[in-house]
Amino acid sequence: MKTMSADLENDIAALLPRLRRFARSITFHREDADDLVQIAVERALTRAEQWQPGTRLDSWMFRIVKNAWIDEIRSRARRSELFAPEEEGGHVGDDYAAAHQQRMAVEKAMSLLSDDHRMVIGLVLVDGLPYKEAAEVLDIPIGTLTSRLARAREALQELLSDRARKPI
Amino acid sequence: MNVDDETLMAYADGELALEQRARVEQAMRDDPRVAAAVERHRALRADVFAAFAGVLDEPVPERLQPAAPAPRSPVRVDVLAQANARPLPARWAWPRWGAIAASLAAGVLAGALGWQQLRSGEASPIVQQGGELLARGELADALSQRLASDAPAGQVRLGLSFRTKEGAYCRSFKLGATAGLACREDGSWRIPVLAQDQAPEQAGYRQAGSDMPAAVLDAIDQRIAGASLDAAAERAAREHGWQRR
Repeated sequence: MKTMSADLENDIAALLPRLRRFARSITFHREDADDLVQIAVERALTRAEQWQPGTRLDSWMFRIVKNAWIDEIRSRARRSELFAPEEEGGHVGDDYAAAHQQRMAVEKAMSLLSDDHRMVIGLVLVDGLPYKEAAEVLDIPIGTLTSRLARAREALQELLSDRARKPI
Repeated sequence: MNVDDETLMAYADGELALEQRARVEQAMRDDPRVAAAVERHRALRADVFAAFAGVLDEPVPERLQPAAPAPRSPVRVDVLAQANARPLPARWAWPRWGAIAASLAAGVLAGALGWQQLRSGEASPIVQQGGELLARGELADALSQRLASDAPAGQVRLGLSFRTKEGAYCRSFKLGATAGLACREDGSWRIPVLAQDQAPEQAGYRQAGSDMPAAVLDAIDQRIAGASLDAAAERAAREHGWQRR
């Protein structure tokens, strides 16, 4: 039906910033992240009839992003250029430099995590999904989600404190 | 008292029910190591969140838009504009014209724009030519000849007329369930924006006159230089064939 698919397109469009952010947290390269979102949007629209109005569209879209990463993008994803200079604002102050450095450190540490760990961190810490929704996206029981998240955090914390001990 | 680390993590993530929360808070007061552990979870969460937060402010590349128009098409089709169209100044208040058969617009649009199902009419008032949409037939005639203040006749309703920053004339219009903006260039009425009107069943809830889709309003805002034309200015523009001055 026309209006329904138009509504779905609009709702997906509204989610794009979050989808891009999630994609950025699980890929290693901004172009790959956008490719991933593009593929996910295309898949979502071709499977629009599988979407159940009344359920959470964000969870459905995150699941499509996750699957697209696993079966399409991951194999050809770039690992280089992770630290390609990004477009930055004009101001460079100490606070700004410190925040920037912190951000790079987190991105680098994230890139060293396993897929499973990156995804759970991306859903819960980056996007802020409740455990229940994150578990649904990942198709795992909530207990598994919790323990996976705890291990992922531990690993990330470890990587970040390693860096703190021996700066790059 | 003993609280395991997963519970502290869930506490830091705001996942605990009231009773468990109270238990953790008691443990934090009793044991500074518990408080420090919670703080570590919170700090990590904040750092990770901050590292990616900037992505939300980045412009979203056009290629990701679900309703992105076909490449090289200058047409922006906006089906978003439904219930939240802005209130309009009084000059927009048109008589409501009831259900006009939506069988007018060209069948060519449906395929080219993936936009809405349109039955192809006998003489299309809107045609696609060289990647652009042009007004034809009744629509072109109304745009060229009628003033916005004329009594309604036929299926075309004219909104307001104005000059762009480049000096060209543009007019907004409605044609059945379609609304758009037409600009006079090189002797043709080009249509840079075409949008679906609100669903007819919503008409009863709308304020009189607030029925121009937001996409068209935005397009006007982007182009208009100065005020819109009054009847006398429209007449003068018509006498000059709406040519750029």
